[in-house]
Amino acid sequence: MHIDVFSVFRNSADFSGVLFYYNGPLSQNVIATMGETLRHRLGCADAGGPKARRLFSSFIEMAQNALHYSPDAPGYPGEKVGALAVGRCGSSDYYIVCGNLVHRDQTQRIRERIEPLRSMTVEEIRRAYREQLKQEPASDEVSKGAGLGFLTLARDATEPIEYSLIDMPGHEDDLAYFYIQATV
Amino acid sequence: MKDFHIARTAHSPEVDFRFSEHRLTLSGEAYPEDATAFFNPVLSALEQYLKSMDDCDIEFNFQLTYFNSASTKMLYRLFGLLNDSACTRNRVVLCWHHDVEDDTVLEFGESVHDDFNALEFRPIAADLAAL
Repeated sequence: MHIDVFSVFRNSADFSGVLFYYNGPLSQNVIATMGETLRHRLGCADAGGPKARRLFSSFIEMAQNALHYSPDAPGYPGEKVGALAVGRCGSSDYYIVCGNLVHRDQTQRIRERIEPLRSMTVEEIRRAYREQLKQEPASDEVSKGAGLGFLTLARDATEPIEYSLIDMPGHEDDLAYFYIQATV
Repeated sequence: MKDFHIARTAHSPEVDFRFSEHRLTLSGEAYPEDATAFFNPVLSALEQYLKSMDDCDIEFNFQLTYFNSASTKMLYRLFGLLNDSACTRNRVVLCWHHDVEDDTVLEFGESVHDDFNALEFRPIAADLAAL
């Protein structure tokens, strides 16, 4: 990368309030290390207890989601990749965004899971979360967290979850990029 | 029955089930890579212990400070085992250690209290950051 290009990249990250950015292979150890780094950064940025906890929770849910459900990166068998960023927005809020690959045939399912959460009130999310806790493990084997993951993100967020699904250029038939963003 | 112990790691909790003293403790953080694989042996050991006990006073100390959604699901199964036992054979006190500031753990405790009402729920405010 040319130094000028890197300078623009760094400046625009700064401008967008980015505290933390990662793009690369995901593993449980990478996630745990990033989680600790994030906690440290939040501690330095004076993000108070409950907010730091919710941000950490959202970070882990998104990163583990990417690790568990991503197909292998094309050309890299066995490797899961993802991009994560955490930053400040406004005076007291933080955003957290994650991008990873998903199988194209899962995109409809992801939409159906997230879309209803976007229009629910805080109280409705809380009720749905508690109902989901009592459900027996999901009959479909796809979801390891039995649908609780997106509800956990919605529970910890101060605004509706944003998401986007974009076909992967060159792999339009089978792969898509899934982006999810939460404000805490 | 032999005591059951798993040491704490960066992403999995300490499991300290002192069956000989009827004192079971779960502490630390729970976000293992595979929550089902981590918790299944824990649930099996607990189930075996509960089945072997009759008319016994059991203390369960919940001291987790963070648990991801997949672990939360497994914890509900664990409380289910304790509750079933408390309905039929034993008395179980659930000591709910929580940071006073941590509304997530507190709210989760309220759900557990409502959903498993055979357990004697005992909230204990503590400074878990010091542990």
